[in-house]
Amino acid sequence: MFAYIVRRVLATIPVMAIVALFVFSLLYIAPGDPAAVIAGDQATPADVERIRQSLGLDRPFLVRFGEWVFRILQGDLGVSIFTNLPVTRMIAQRIEPTLSLMVVTLVLAVVIAVPMGVVAAWKHGSWIDRLVMAFAVLGFSVPVFVVGYLLAYYFALQLDWFPVQGYTPFSEGFGPWFRNLVLPSIALGGVYIALIARITRATMLEVLQQDYIRTARAKGAGQRTILFLHALKNAAVPIVTVIGIGVALLIGGAVVTESVFAIPGLGRLTVDAILRRDYPVIQGVILLFSFVYVLVNLLIDLSYTLFDPRIRY
Amino acid sequence: MSTTTQPPQGVAAATPMPDIMAVRKPRKGFLGYLMRHPTIGIGGFLLLLMVAVAIFAPWLWTKDPTALAPVMRTRNPSAAAWFGTDMLGRDVYSRVLYGTRVSLMVGFGVAIAASVIGLFIGLVSGFVRWADSIIMRIMDGLMSIPSILLAIALMALTRGSVGNVILAITIAEIPRVSRLVRGVVLSLREQPYVDAAIASGTRTPVIIWRHILPNTLAPMTVQATYICASAMITEAILSFIGAGTPPIIPSWGNIMAEGRALWQVKPYIVFFPAIFLSVTVLAVNLLGDGLRDSLDPRLAKRV
Repeated sequence: MFAYIVRRVLATIPVMAIVALFVFSLLYIAPGDPAAVIAGDQATPADVERIRQSLGLDRPFLVRFGEWVFRILQGDLGVSIFTNLPVTRMIAQRIEPTLSLMVVTLVLAVVIAVPMGVVAAWKHGSWIDRLVMAFAVLGFSVPVFVVGYLLAYYFALQLDWFPVQGYTPFSEGFGPWFRNLVLPSIALGGVYIALIARITRATMLEVLQQDYIRTARAKGAGQRTILFLHALKNAAVPIVTVIGIGVALLIGGAVVTESVFAIPGLGRLTVDAILRRDYPVIQGVILLFSFVYVLVNLLIDLSYTLFDPRIRY
Repeated sequence: MSTTTQPPQGVAAATPMPDIMAVRKPRKGFLGYLMRHPTIGIGGFLLLLMVAVAIFAPWLWTKDPTALAPVMRTRNPSAAAWFGTDMLGRDVYSRVLYGTRVSLMVGFGVAIAASVIGLFIGLVSGFVRWADSIIMRIMDGLMSIPSILLAIALMALTRGSVGNVILAITIAEIPRVSRLVRGVVLSLREQPYVDAAIASGTRTPVIIWRHILPNTLAPMTVQATYICASAMITEAILSFIGAGTPPIIPSWGNIMAEGRALWQVKPYIVFFPAIFLSVTVLAVNLLGDGLRDSLDPRLAKRV
């Protein structure tokens, strides 16, 4: 088991190295002079030269890459071209809203989607099943900002149940914090719920046909025990895998959701950085998000033994 | 409904052996196919409708989508401006209709480009052993960057144009297609008929052309529709946050981005493009689900 964990952790190193190499070389892949592109149309030659030097574009590629990786390993993501603040500090200031949004969405989505999928599989072919499947198709089709604006329009503007926009820090209490996150989380969770519900239904359908389910039924176990204890536990591995893969959707969606609901998080930071072509910030945020994504999927890989003791490393 | 499109039950009721006839003799031809897979019919119809809107936009009672009319600013939907006007007085109806062009162009463009390039990479990966591990490690790396972020990063460094948007989204989609094709190739290589072809001395290019490619067609078609759907959403997102199609071109993402500042008082500027985008994506997804069910009946029972 321990050897497996070490192996699995080591296997993420080449993946992160490729992510780093890609994020770094973006600057060089881009057509034209990157310094001129970042500086924008109104830049003077002096501005361009300053950016060229601050990004180290005047030195060889591999040397720059080595230095860059070395600094990142020490926790230094560079300095923003626009604000001249360290990128790590800018990220630290913005991370709470994004983290809150993603955690609330994740919990909400799992709590809603898994029972949905279970019921759909149990009542296979019924109107409930068809409703769940129709919802899944809609969830994949209606983009996050569309859901966001619709929710904000009806539940915030018309009915006044929730705040229209903004974010309240967790330190000001759970209630206000949560009230501000309800609508963004539902908007962001749409695709995610569709994805989890669909895979839950598919795996449950397969598991419910197994012999041990018939045995459980024969020995008189209750419907709920069979569904949630016998079946769901055996269906857990694919479901948990998809929950992990879907985190990518949450990260991408957070960028948009934060724009719709004016949440001052990492997504807003990314959007602002793009509009200002503040490249160190863009690099830092993408590296961080990719790292989180790889880490989440690593933890999920390692969690398989919890759900299925037959999996031994 | 005319007699040719009558459902099978109706046909069965008129014959002496109702049920057996209905089950054993499904209606043949294209219409029968659509009837067995209603999602293909509905999705295909809606998508064709959108294609028609894109092509015939200038003749559908539209005005110049970029014409400014400061006097006519932020008018609510009316007989003169069906979807109202935006803060520069431009006609939202015309802009939304012309926006169909950008969305479909990006959706189809990315679906085709990502399929072709992904097919090539997947084939190389599946046939050239030493290249496989290198290519797949690179794809693993690319896949651990959430695709919207990857597209954003690429767009951040290029000047916005429809071509660059297509390129950026294509690069973000390639890893998934390559993995799919590689998986299909690896499983096909174990098939007896491929062994037989190799044993009888068929050259590799011929094997690929005759035995491998035709079998990747079905999963690729399904995958391409899903890529098309997600590319249209990604384009709208990119334009919405200001990193996509240049603002001068009316695209649904751009219209929504411009309507954002006013959405609490003039929600229609955001909602009309939003409805068009959702319906188009829904159409493509329905088409994809239908194709999946019809091309791979085994999968249809499960998912």
